[in-house]
Amino acid sequence: MMLFQDVSKKSNDFLGELRVYLFSSGKNEKEIDEIVDELHDHLREAERKGKSVEDIIGRTPKDYMKNVAEEMQPDRKQWIKYMFLIVVGSFAIDIIGKLKEGNLAYSVLQLSGHIGIAVLFVLLVLIGYKHLTGASPKKQFFMLLPVAMMPIIAFVGLIFLDRAVQTPVIHFGTWGTWVVGGISVLFLIAASVWAKTWVLIIIIALLNLPDYLLSKTNLSLEYRSLASTAVLMIGLVLFMWLSNKADKQKE
Amino acid sequence: MSTTQMLKGILEGCLLAIMKEKEVYGYELAEKLEDYGFDSFSEGTIYPLLLRMQKEKLIASELRKSTAGPKRKYYAITEKGEEELEAFKERWQELSKSVNQVLEGGKPGRPKGGEKK
Repeated sequence: MMLFQDVSKKSNDFLGELRVYLFSSGKNEKEIDEIVDELHDHLREAERKGKSVEDIIGRTPKDYMKNVAEEMQPDRKQWIKYMFLIVVGSFAIDIIGKLKEGNLAYSVLQLSGHIGIAVLFVLLVLIGYKHLTGASPKKQFFMLLPVAMMPIIAFVGLIFLDRAVQTPVIHFGTWGTWVVGGISVLFLIAASVWAKTWVLIIIIALLNLPDYLLSKTNLSLEYRSLASTAVLMIGLVLFMWLSNKADKQKE
Repeated sequence: MSTTQMLKGILEGCLLAIMKEKEVYGYELAEKLEDYGFDSFSEGTIYPLLLRMQKEKLIASELRKSTAGPKRKYYAITEKGEEELEAFKERWQELSKSVNQVLEGGKPGRPKGGEKK
């Protein structure tokens, strides 16, 4: 896919990789856009005069990206915001799925495990993308595969661990369930409006409709959880990148 | 100080001097440097440098619509930058004087001496 129509494919690749590299290094999105736009402008002018990416960037692209990254401050607030959105968002989706089963109940292990897995997953995605810079598509696939598998395996592990280890269970009661359920719905609507996207709503539908339909069959609970968890995590990442890309296209 | 650091310091001084003349955008800066004969380094080097100089408040940038259409980031020298430019000029004067003396084979401590080749 070509992000910029007026520069060569090589320049496009470089600019795309630079964006992902800086994004996964935790830099501020606005500053990333600025430096990418600036280099795009430069590459366009330079290519018009017959210069190549190598003439501009020199050395290896990765060294150059590192150089740029070193001069930019990481934006921790932005990353706390993303973490928060992903942890709360994945809980909200989980809660909505559970509502049809009656009153909510979470064990302490489920709660902490869920948060831990979500945070770990986001970190792994970031680290993964940062190290993908310049790798071949085949290598990229084999590097991201374990990252994509991690939450699925971890959530299945969590289900079994939760059965084996008894931790206090928090029961929400009828009112509690209504309140928590209501907050979840409001959060998801607010997040959808904020991100100006249908993605979340689509994910929830994807999650709950097949689940609901599956519950009519006699498949075991494990299979159903497995399928919904996989869709959830992959969907969240897609949402993150899609909304990021949508923001970019709006400019 | 390593060689690259020294070159970066010199480049930084030159960028400040160009910006003192007028506000410029990235590509323009690279072109000017090339016009002055800097052609052995890759043009992209200026961007990490510009980022650092902004962090150190030597220069300030502003996004502005250019006549050609796309928004461009224009850089201008700040007061602190002008002070740094003066300091750089002095350092450079000193350095080039010493280097010239060495190259011309003059005796240490004298402003001029020895015979030119």
